[in-house]
Amino acid sequence: MSAVALSDPVIEELRAILGDDKVLLSKPARYNRTRVPAPFPVHRWREFVPDLAVLPERTDQVAEVVKLANAHHIPVVARAGGTGLADGAVPLRGGIIVDVKLMDRILEIDLEDRTVTVQPGVNMLKLNEELKGHGVIYPDDPASFPCSLVGGRIGTSGWSLIGGRFGHTRDLVISMEVVLPTGDVARVGDGGGRKIRKSSTGFQLKHLFMGHQGTLGIATEATLELVPRPEAEFSAFFGYPSFQAAWRSAGAIARSGLATLAGVVLFDERKIEYLRRDDEAYIPQPPEMRAVVATAMYGTIDEVRPAAKRLLRVGRETGGTYLGDEVSQGDWASRHDRYATPLHGRTPQGQVVPMCWHCEDAAINYSALPRVMEEWHTIVAGYVERYGIFDDWGMFCYTNGAHKPWADYLVEIDIGIWEERLNTETWDAWVRCKRDIAAASLRHNGSITACHGATREGDVELVPVELGPGFEVMQRIKRALDPNNIMNPGKYLLDQAYEDQGGDQ
Amino acid sequence: MTKSEAAGEFIATWRGPAYGCFSSGHKFCREVCPVMQVTRNENHTPTAFHANVVAMSQGDLSVEDVADDYTYCTLCGACELRCPNTLFTGDFYRNRTQTVKLVKEMRALAVRSGLDQAAWQRWVELTIEQRNEPVLESGVSQAHVRDWAAGLNLPTGGETILFVDCEAAYYRTSVPRAAALILAAAGVSFGLMREQWCCGGPAAEMGYLEQSRFLADHNLRDWRETGARRIITLDPHDYITFTEDYPAYFGAGYDFEIIHITELVADLIEAGRLALTHPIARTATYHDPCRLNKRKGIHESPRAILRAVPGLTFKDVDHVTQWSYCSGAGGGFAIVHPDIAGEISRRRVARAAELGVDLLVSACVWSERPMAARGREDNLRVEVRDLMEIVAESAGLDFGGVRP
Repeated sequence: MSAVALSDPVIEELRAILGDDKVLLSKPARYNRTRVPAPFPVHRWREFVPDLAVLPERTDQVAEVVKLANAHHIPVVARAGGTGLADGAVPLRGGIIVDVKLMDRILEIDLEDRTVTVQPGVNMLKLNEELKGHGVIYPDDPASFPCSLVGGRIGTSGWSLIGGRFGHTRDLVISMEVVLPTGDVARVGDGGGRKIRKSSTGFQLKHLFMGHQGTLGIATEATLELVPRPEAEFSAFFGYPSFQAAWRSAGAIARSGLATLAGVVLFDERKIEYLRRDDEAYIPQPPEMRAVVATAMYGTIDEVRPAAKRLLRVGRETGGTYLGDEVSQGDWASRHDRYATPLHGRTPQGQVVPMCWHCEDAAINYSALPRVMEEWHTIVAGYVERYGIFDDWGMFCYTNGAHKPWADYLVEIDIGIWEERLNTETWDAWVRCKRDIAAASLRHNGSITACHGATREGDVELVPVELGPGFEVMQRIKRALDPNNIMNPGKYLLDQAYEDQGGDQ
Repeated sequence: MTKSEAAGEFIATWRGPAYGCFSSGHKFCREVCPVMQVTRNENHTPTAFHANVVAMSQGDLSVEDVADDYTYCTLCGACELRCPNTLFTGDFYRNRTQTVKLVKEMRALAVRSGLDQAAWQRWVELTIEQRNEPVLESGVSQAHVRDWAAGLNLPTGGETILFVDCEAAYYRTSVPRAAALILAAAGVSFGLMREQWCCGGPAAEMGYLEQSRFLADHNLRDWRETGARRIITLDPHDYITFTEDYPAYFGAGYDFEIIHITELVADLIEAGRLALTHPIARTATYHDPCRLNKRKGIHESPRAILRAVPGLTFKDVDHVTQWSYCSGAGGGFAIVHPDIAGEISRRRVARAAELGVDLLVSACVWSERPMAARGREDNLRVEVRDLMEIVAESAGLDFGGVRP
């Protein structure tokens, strides 16, 4: 189960730091903090079970726990919502899960300097419920908006569905407090001012502590951007006879320069086929509509009203058929619930079976989308045919640049996996499939992941390929900050940073 | 059946549905769960309740390991509504998430496995002994089950029975008195049972199926022998018991019409049979009882009633927003976890206080005791009343009774 069997004195010290009821040793407490929604080798569940979990309420408690773990060389894995689609929150070496869900307080709402300061266990939907009365929003809007937590958004460097207008997590976190692997506490941002958005003092440390998947520390407080509550939301969905037509139109819309444009989403032909086939909530469209582009804008009424006219014109002039208000408003409004449509998929013979969902999330430039799409479908088709437990649910491409949504896309292929049929052979096949997909992204000068992280088997082997000498820099930073390799050990191949030490791998 | 056979049967029944949750695993349920909002302990999530079954099926966990965790649920049903599986595959694939049923069956398995919760065991023992739930520290008994109706001259039996649950019959007698006078004023004839026992629902919620059935058998017999055809319930919990548990116990022959009083009273007002003429000059909001709103979809009739009350300023909070609200009083939760339940109640009343109201109206008598206690706290100052009390007052009916 774990490389480290925690001794009673350590458990007693943890209880002294946190209180007895915040140190969880029961089997279900540990089993339920093992997994995230990403495909999971359920047949090997017990290999990933941590030794215990703690529920801190304050930064100083997290710091004390980490100091203790560092002194005893015990692995520490941070866990917020546990809704990530990489395996950042999955412990590989047992140890202590630092579950930050109880750190769910809103510490300060500052309407003058437009920030809200929160603990990492706060959820964005709940936060926005509180902000509603103040006329502001925190616009970090992932598909997991109702369930993901601020801490996990930082740990993965999350992506927002409306990031084209408002930015993504890294753009929305102004500064944060981080417990380092030694237990020291640092505030990182742009320079030192807690509410300063742009500074040239020193290194830009905020980015270093975004998306590290729990390998460099634990965010225990974050000061976030507040945005005026948009007066108007406008969404428009267009249909096209082919992916090529939709791709050209999506590009024209994304390049339109409309500042209110929050996102453009391209549905490929396989996606539309899948929705028609297996999504009972999908609103039917004429059969000649084989690909779709969805768009959304936010802003003041004075901005959105004329921009909406312009958007509709660009969509139509580039070959799109407006699909009507019901599809446009309804489907956009259900964008979070849509996150979980895949409960079921089909075998190659057409049998409906329960399947879990893999969501590939490469970042790919606009020009390469058609080729990447073809290559990915071809790769997946081979595995579908050979193993009978995979299903290709089609692709989405979302504009990816914060405030500059024109040139690169988060490219998602959704793959169903009949998890119950996983065994050593099929899991290995799945890992190969993932690696083939990631390799195709790199061949087209893309990045393996736009928002989930590249820690999983299948992705992680290619991280040194993607980063080149930059990966060596990553290792040096890791070793400098985490001398004993206690922070989420085993992730991102960072054990390599300690190879000359002999231990701790 | 041996303990291990019972566990095997449970796993065989629930592994498929549990895997439906496990395979999606998105946890939209977490932030609407009233217990989870307080404890923030992932063990208490509907996700964990399902994942445990998958782990049990492969021998990683046992009922002994997980039984305690299943006490952390008020059976409010919010998670089922918020589940994307329910939303997107519920109808066509018949894959509606059924956390409430799962939790009840796990609790029953725990009892069969000898894993009793002492507080629940005692509660059910007293219920069986006294025939009603022990809602008063001084004790309850059949000798006093109709005391609430003193002076009202209500008949026994007849086609329509007013079923008065234990909390209303002994603790907050203003509610059944108000209801009885409302029905009389509107010309609805009804009677009481000869001997009204606990509905049996709470025992089933705590996992004590035989005891639940014992109580239910009696009530059904009483209904049959007095010619009842239609049962009016005051308490949403009874409404659940009579529309979900009893049909499962008694099968196709169970042919009673079960009505919740808010539906009936809304109809009576609409039909002009009950005139609300006395202004209630208060600013109020409405608490959606979980079992009416989340589990039965009844949220329009109580709002229609409140809008018909003259003089009342009604600050409504949408029933979907209220999926994440709860009084903490349901599912036996407050009996085993009174502190957490108290915090759930406090948060609910604080939500009302934020609206600037001085009155929180509920339609569930069980929610009223804990919420009223929180509402009396200095920093909140919100009075908690039952919808029937407000209606009776507005109809000019002098109902009296005890309103602690």
